[in-house]
Amino acid sequence: MRNRNYISIFFDDEVPLLQAVRKLRESNEIITDVLSPFPVHGLDEALSIKRSRIPVVGFIFGAIGAILAFGFQAWVFTVSYPLIIGGKPFFAAPAFIPITFEVTVLFAGLSMVAAMLIRSKLKPDIRFVPVDKRITDDRFVILVEAADAKTTLMRVKSVLSGIQTIEIR
Amino acid sequence: MDEQFNFKKKYRNILLIVLSASLLVALASIFISRLGASRLWANVLLNNQLFLGLSLGAAFFLAVHRIALSGWQTVLQRLPDAMTTFLPVAFILMLLIYFGMHHLYNWADSDGSDKVIEGKKAWLNIPFFFTRLVIYFTGWIVFTRMMRKSSAALMTSSDIKYDNRRKIFSGLFLVFYAITVSTSSWDWIMSLDAHWYSTLFGWYVLIGMFVSSLAFIILLIWLLKHLGYLKYVRSDHVHDMAILLFCFSIFWTYLWFSQYELIWYGHLPEETSYYITRLKDFKVLFFVNLGINFIVPFFGLITVNSKRQPGWVAFIAAIVLIGHWIDYWLMIMPAAGGDKAGIGVLEICMTIVYACVFIFIVLRSLSTGPLVVKNDPFLEESLNYES
Repeated sequence: MRNRNYISIFFDDEVPLLQAVRKLRESNEIITDVLSPFPVHGLDEALSIKRSRIPVVGFIFGAIGAILAFGFQAWVFTVSYPLIIGGKPFFAAPAFIPITFEVTVLFAGLSMVAAMLIRSKLKPDIRFVPVDKRITDDRFVILVEAADAKTTLMRVKSVLSGIQTIEIR
Repeated sequence: MDEQFNFKKKYRNILLIVLSASLLVALASIFISRLGASRLWANVLLNNQLFLGLSLGAAFFLAVHRIALSGWQTVLQRLPDAMTTFLPVAFILMLLIYFGMHHLYNWADSDGSDKVIEGKKAWLNIPFFFTRLVIYFTGWIVFTRMMRKSSAALMTSSDIKYDNRRKIFSGLFLVFYAITVSTSSWDWIMSLDAHWYSTLFGWYVLIGMFVSSLAFIILLIWLLKHLGYLKYVRSDHVHDMAILLFCFSIFWTYLWFSQYELIWYGHLPEETSYYITRLKDFKVLFFVNLGINFIVPFFGLITVNSKRQPGWVAFIAAIVLIGHWIDYWLMIMPAAGGDKAGIGVLEICMTIVYACVFIFIVLRSLSTGPLVVKNDPFLEESLNYES
């Protein structure tokens, strides 16, 4: 047997998964990850995961995009290359708004994707070897950190004795 | 779940006192400051439109959610339902406009010398104007009444046919409303500037109605929670109402700007006249309108925490409601009030009078039944809703 530093617990439903997460946390086991085929309501609170800060990134980069786009147009049409278009003044603010809006959305969207990729350390050549092929299909899995696999396995088994699990290994 | 709103004598008395006091002040200001008939009628039209918009927006809210089979709003649905009971009163108030036609609409007494108005005579004439008015209100009242009736039937019976019936009436209402809200806004507001036209105007008014009625529903939730009702309405429901207020405020700005920019860009004299009168004489209000209806809800409700606090959301909703009053004011008053246009005691007191009548009717309607529709198929989902 390969020397592992984690234990995986398999479920086929979200209800026992949530119960198990709460019980494991009560008995001070360290949960490294939970894998599920769909978002489970209440799982974030049960794991006490903090809210994602991606929206903050979106807001900041959106604001930068807005200022850049508006500033650039204002600079081009007043300083760099003034043109009379349709008899409007050089600084024609309403005409700049649609482009400002589009650049804001573009900056906010791309920055959020980039922040998500960087934070979750995803890059093109990354390889993921699943513990079990079924976790990519319909299984719910909890991964528990285990310095010593054997004793932790015994502990986890006793903690989860009343909960319907498929497999613990 | 059988919780029922008790419209106590105390609340009635407060409303009655505020109503009569502001009615007296309004009447006094009419006689003392001699503002002229056209400003008085413009006020009547402004408040008719605002409070009619609140009930129509509420009906739109219900119809859209029922057609989309949405569950989260089920615990709240009695509030917009109660707001639609104002429609018959709005009908009578709108018919009053008949006596002020000549003060409000300059097409009503055209002598044939104005070529533009002559060209629009097929649509803008007094008999057809009131025929359309009656058709609009008949449709709105009938469809909202049918929706309310099916909801009332679901209080006692758990037959799914009432829910299906309600969905059918929601669909019919939406189709009818989508057309009539455009045409009614041309009739009542756009024809004040008889020479001017904007093809976007109907949608702009529709979204204004929807946003203001969302704001009013939020205020009603806050009020009822404050009085100790609606215990089962949690932050999750308030959160979703706040999201709707937030995004439809942005959508309102989108339409406001689309209308403004196209007219600004095109620079056609018959189109720009609308903005020139408003920008020249009411420059401050013009930008206050944009700030209050866009900047305030945008920055006030942008974070998750701010959307989940009923008190704060109600505060923003109150500001947005005032903002949409200003929006209607800018649509109606510069055209109808002429050089006498302004915001004074009369405007404020008239709106308070209307608001008291509206709140009275809504609360009385709420007190006639339980605050939730007991056998609604989505009730359980709504009670356990997490946003």
